[in-house]
Amino acid sequence: MDALILARIQFAANISFHILFPTVTIALGWVLVFFKLRFNATREEKWMDAYRFWVKVFALSFALGVVSGITMSFQFGTNWPGFMERVGNIAGPLLAYEVLTAFFLEATFLGIMLFGFRRVPGWLHTGATVLVAVGTTLSAFWILVLNSWMHTPQGFELREGVAHATDWWAIVFNPSMPYRLAHMLMASALTVAFLMAGISAWRWLRGDRAPAVMAVLRTGIVMAAVGAPTQLLLGDLHGLNTLEHQPAKVAAMEGNWETRGHVPLLLFAIPDEQARTNRFEVAIPSGASLILTHRADGEVPGLNDFIGEHPPVAPVFYAFRVMVGTGMLMIALGLLGAFLLWRRREIPRWLLRGYVVMTFSGWVATLAGWYVTEIGRQPWLVHGVLTTAQAAGPVPAGSIATTLVMYLVLYALLLAAYIAAIYRLAAHGRLAAATPPGAVPQAKESAA
Amino acid sequence: MTPFIPAEWLPVVFAALMAASILAYVVLDGFDLGVGILLPRAAEEAERDRMIAAIGPFWDANETWLVLGVGLLLVAFPVAHGIILTELYLAVALMLVGLTLRGVAFEFRAKALEPARKRRWDHAFVGGSLLAALAQGWMLGRYVLGFAEGWAAVAFAAMAAVGLAIAYAFIGAAWLIWRTEGALQRRAIAWARAAIWPMAVGILLVSAVTPLVSARIFERWFTFPEVFLLAPLPLATAALLLGLANLLKHMPLPGDALRRIPFWGAVVLFALFFAGLAWSFFPYVVPERLTIWEAASAPESLSIILIGALFVMPIILAYTVLAWRIFGGKARELSYY
Ligand code: HDD
Ligand code: HEM
Ligand code: HEM
Repeated sequence: MDALILARIQFAANISFHILFPTVTIALGWVLVFFKLRFNATREEKWMDAYRFWVKVFALSFALGVVSGITMSFQFGTNWPGFMERVGNIAGPLLAYEVLTAFFLEATFLGIMLFGFRRVPGWLHTGATVLVAVGTTLSAFWILVLNSWMHTPQGFELREGVAHATDWWAIVFNPSMPYRLAHMLMASALTVAFLMAGISAWRWLRGDRAPAVMAVLRTGIVMAAVGAPTQLLLGDLHGLNTLEHQPAKVAAMEGNWETRGHVPLLLFAIPDEQARTNRFEVAIPSGASLILTHRADGEVPGLNDFIGEHPPVAPVFYAFRVMVGTGMLMIALGLLGAFLLWRRREIPRWLLRGYVVMTFSGWVATLAGWYVTEIGRQPWLVHGVLTTAQAAGPVPAGSIATTLVMYLVLYALLLAAYIAAIYRLAAHGRLAAATPPGAVPQAKESAA
Repeated sequence: MTPFIPAEWLPVVFAALMAASILAYVVLDGFDLGVGILLPRAAEEAERDRMIAAIGPFWDANETWLVLGVGLLLVAFPVAHGIILTELYLAVALMLVGLTLRGVAFEFRAKALEPARKRRWDHAFVGGSLLAALAQGWMLGRYVLGFAEGWAAVAFAAMAAVGLAIAYAFIGAAWLIWRTEGALQRRAIAWARAAIWPMAVGILLVSAVTPLVSARIFERWFTFPEVFLLAPLPLATAALLLGLANLLKHMPLPGDALRRIPFWGAVVLFALFFAGLAWSFFPYVVPERLTIWEAASAPESLSIILIGALFVMPIILAYTVLAWRIFGGKARELSYY
């Protein structure tokens, strides 16, 4: 395999691993603020219990987010030197602002949030929790500004092939930024909603009747019921925006080869790029035209208009269906749970099992969504300005392969340890909530 | 937009900012990594908990200085960033693995319910800290020799790796002298005593080799009148080393007097060493190959960053001071609640 492919796989592996944890921390930070405020208002112990348990999950996710993020910040230079040479004048300040306004803020107040409870007044502890949440959200803002700019670049001019900023306002508020930011923040909210619902349902099914378990389960279900339908709406708007700026990507998402009206919505198909057609189509007639143009005979761009400059079709097509399919399941489970809570005030066991299955569904949908976006913009790295191949560096394939294997092994181990740690904490929920981890509780099975 | 300071000065300002961030990183994460390296020498689990509690609230913010330093290199001198990180590709990857293991071990060990599992994460913590320190020292060694090839260069890099790990152990021990008490503090004093002279040898080696491999650097140090202007640098280093060694011999003092001095002394030592290197290499970012002016990005982008930095830096410093005050004094039990 050549260095370009390896560099791409390595970058994709690193960012895919990294994004799992921000997706948890961005929304969970705000959920912790919510728990803390509920406790301050009601003085009910269950909210503090909920805080104590989920702050541990937060701390764990944050640590993994930080260490994998540090790896990311080296990746630009090691794998994509051409990227900084060509668009560094734009990417640079955005990355710098992220470090200056977000990373120091979250890292410093995290210390106070995690370890300062007994040392600082209550308002300062609540304030630190808020500032950490603000920090993660700000960091998402800056990095998504950069990523969106790479999809819909504007506000710059090329001088001798190098991008120079002419209008920072236009760069920051580039056309796809609001949609991507909103969709990503909601993705984080949904990931956390199902994580909380799934873990709480698991605890409940194992007979853990702590009041905090039910409180968190409810919080998760309400978040899902509100968030999942909103995400459908945001995703739809996002798609319309992409149709305007990156029609080839939308054509790949829809698996549409010819530009025409009455394009069906494919529920399933096997796109065949060789034959430039689909096999085994299961479709809703005129569906895609309706969604994208709001008219049954509306014209939808086809891949044959972009021969040689469109992304690989199959991965974009499948990833899009995985994301939307997961989204639909989330809508169903969210609304059903909310309805049952409202009418019957309890959740039947079969639905609890459903939440357990969906515990990490947010990760699946988020990764699938990123694959749609990122593979969908290939062969471009910065749309219309720089291709991915132009950005690759001179590192020999051997070095990349060695480090790639190293990262993959490490990531597999850490992911397994992360998930295991969450379940172990949940299994010892009461124990873990009541005792400080500094003084490690002597668990009964420690003899084993 | 027009930069508010002359374009030729911007690269100098950014080189200074970058150097300051890297120095801040080396000092701050240096003591974290040093404590990690010293962890196996602790007598028992409670002592390990105490050592980790002494760095728990700080490590994340400390590590952020690395992100800033590398970020500034990337942002202000993108070409140099490409060259340096490509040359150091494997060492960087190893450092990242080390930092990853160290960073996650903090959390995992706090969440382990069984002692055996906690021990495993302790090992990851130690291994990660040591790996990161060695890799950073190796990079320093490679950088100082301008990425020269050959066994001598490799041997030098290996020595720099060990030297930096020892220096980190020293500043880590100095931190523990400040932040702990009783038996652990006495042990930390012994560790600092053991590390100080090997560290001095490391400083001497790197300082001596640098001018020997480059005629330009030699001239910069050993011509009239510079030699007089610069003499204070090595003299101050020597005096500080002697003073610290002497102080350590008499610690702990009654009433825990001067407990902060070993740490701040180590900070000044690091700063002096760093200033010497900076004096040797300025104005090159890639030794003997690329000056800061050749490598700098467009002035308009640099000034946009500078404006932001001028606003935000004081705020960062303010809340860093706040956090240091909150977690001042001797380390207590590390507990979320
Ligand atoms: C949508 C959100 C998002 C995305 C797409 C990315 N990140 Fe990230 N990153 C975060 C959201 C985030 C965060 C929520 O702010 C993290 C996770 C946990 C944390 O501590 O902060 C973080 C941490 C984090 C850190 C450690 C910060 C610290 O020391 O506190 C670095 C250096 C990066 N990231 C760098 C990157 C780079 C170079 C990316 C792209 C290529 C990237 N991140 C994508
Ligand atoms: C956080 C979620 C993200 C995920 C899961 C993700 C995933 C991916 C994937 C799978 C690719 C490979 C596409 C291909 O090669 O066919 C890719 C490419 C790329 N992405 Fe992202 N990405 C994310 C965010 C970002 C952000 C925020 C940036 C920049 C600010 C970015 C910059 C790049 C670059 C430079 C490439 C080109 C290298 C390549 O093709 O592999 N990505 N990304
Ligand atoms: C429910 C129906 C959904 C629709 C119609 C939808 C639509 C879209 C579209 C069109 C894109 C591509 C953006 C581009 O062109 O670049 C996208 C990307 C993405 N989706 Fe979805 N989505 C849905 C559900 C979800 C869910 C449930 C999640 C996660 C929980 C999610 C997470 C993402 C992410 C992280 C991206 C990549 C970042 C971005 O470009 O915003 N989506 N989505």
